[in-house]
Amino acid sequence: MFLQILVNGVVLGCLYACIAAGFSLVWGVLNVINLMHGSFIVLGSYLAWGAYHSMGVSPWVTIAIAAPLFYLMGYLVQRGVLNRVMAAPVLVTLTLTFGMDLILNNAMILAFKADYRKLILDPPLGTVAWGSVVVPVDRLVATVFALVLTGALYVLLRRTRMGRAIIAVRLDRDAARLMGVDVPVTYAAAFGLGAAMAGCAGVLLALIFPISPLSSIPYLGKAFVVCVLGGLGSVPGAVLGGLVLGLVESFGAMAIGPEHAVTLSFALLIGFLVFRPQGLLGKRGFE
Amino acid sequence: MNTAGERAAAMPAERSGELLRIEGLHSGYGPVTVLWGVDLSVREGGITALIGSNGAGKSTLMRTVSGLVPARAGRIFWRGAELRDATPARVLGLGIAHVPEGRRLFGAMSVEENLLMGAYLRRNDAAGVARDLGRVYTIFPKLKERRRQAAGTMSGGEQQMCAIGRGLMSAPRLLMIDELSLGLSPLLVEQLVDALLALNREGLTILVVEQDVVAALEVSGTAYVMDTGRVTQHGESSALLADPAVRRAYLGAFESQGVSTPRSGTIVV
Repeated sequence: MFLQILVNGVVLGCLYACIAAGFSLVWGVLNVINLMHGSFIVLGSYLAWGAYHSMGVSPWVTIAIAAPLFYLMGYLVQRGVLNRVMAAPVLVTLTLTFGMDLILNNAMILAFKADYRKLILDPPLGTVAWGSVVVPVDRLVATVFALVLTGALYVLLRRTRMGRAIIAVRLDRDAARLMGVDVPVTYAAAFGLGAAMAGCAGVLLALIFPISPLSSIPYLGKAFVVCVLGGLGSVPGAVLGGLVLGLVESFGAMAIGPEHAVTLSFALLIGFLVFRPQGLLGKRGFE
Repeated sequence: MNTAGERAAAMPAERSGELLRIEGLHSGYGPVTVLWGVDLSVREGGITALIGSNGAGKSTLMRTVSGLVPARAGRIFWRGAELRDATPARVLGLGIAHVPEGRRLFGAMSVEENLLMGAYLRRNDAAGVARDLGRVYTIFPKLKERRRQAAGTMSGGEQQMCAIGRGLMSAPRLLMIDELSLGLSPLLVEQLVDALLALNREGLTILVVEQDVVAALEVSGTAYVMDTGRVTQHGESSALLADPAVRRAYLGAFESQGVSTPRSGTIVV
């Protein structure tokens, strides 16, 4: 039983890390709290659902389509809209993403209705069992993909020219400009990466959770909690925060009932904000 | 990087050996004007020093040249071609690197990542970047030892080496260094100065802001004295060093204490 809960927690935690990594990147680098992040995730889920049920495209393939598509969307949102108000106080960008989220979310309600949908793989992938621990294969594969995506973001930030520019802008914007970095373009790239991570996470979550525009707020809430737990602005922080949240929810649901899992995660959020606001790995600098 | 037109326009300036010329430059931040009509010329192949008290506008002058701060009036010429209102990326691409005050390294990045950020614009020159990285490590062997270390955890002197190395990684023609010696031990400053003199002998033009007026005037060929946003005096450094007015204003303390000038043999003219 203990092992089963542990495995459930780790599976959930990896997905949370994937949800939060892009949100944390945008918050950390741009100082923009992107309230559209949850709706981006849901949009990714609809993409997976539509691609599978109307065209028979497997979700694993859809990820490869979602990543560039969402990157482009994020890039354009940042270049066309958010870059105009980057010098303004954080409340302005917060209000702006709040408004754009209302538009995006209501557009999804119009397009897809508020009904819950489910992506059901046919034939189902079944389950694997080790002793008493049973895990559905689709969840397992989604977990592995979530880890690979999060790891890819880490490598991209550490090893590529674009990634180094993003980190440089986060660490010292004027020094980055002196190196020849184009700051507005770098902001757009970072926002695009955040959107791509959200879209890909949405594709994976479509395999596990029901899809509805109403899910955007809970997803956004998870991203918030993970960022606060792990510390803002680092991929390892998002992974650690995601795992902690996944395990706490998993064991908490067992101990005090699944209906209290959300209460528990937000109690954790408040506790961290009061006693350790920098998070577990919190430090300046995106890694 | 240079267009044919720029090269043609640069011809007369190159003949006179002038790399950078600034005329009547006004600049500042928000409602505050810091520079009130600065005129300055940097000769190719030389070391030019910029001295003056705190708040004189030396850093603002460099920040305006590199495009971080927009100019309000006046003109900036780079090898005869108009440079005013260029973006920092363009200024760097044309060959002006700026080592900013306070070094401004990317503290959480490794030394080598910092150096590679200096070569950010040279995306299609991997061989040249690798060669220059080797060159920086030859000039500052300490940086090679510490190339995997986070730059922010090094000592002030090592950080200044890294900042200068990062500036060199863009393969500049003109290196602008703001506050070379601030907070560093005399021994380290001596090492840095020797490294810069060697680079200068290889053809690098240097514009340096320096608090230590004696050292600045000894090392440089030409010097400008700034005060409250204007150039108040300029000329050959050796002449300024001998000028009673300059001595009274900036060197009085040294003379009254009877401290002899340490590097009297290294004047570069």
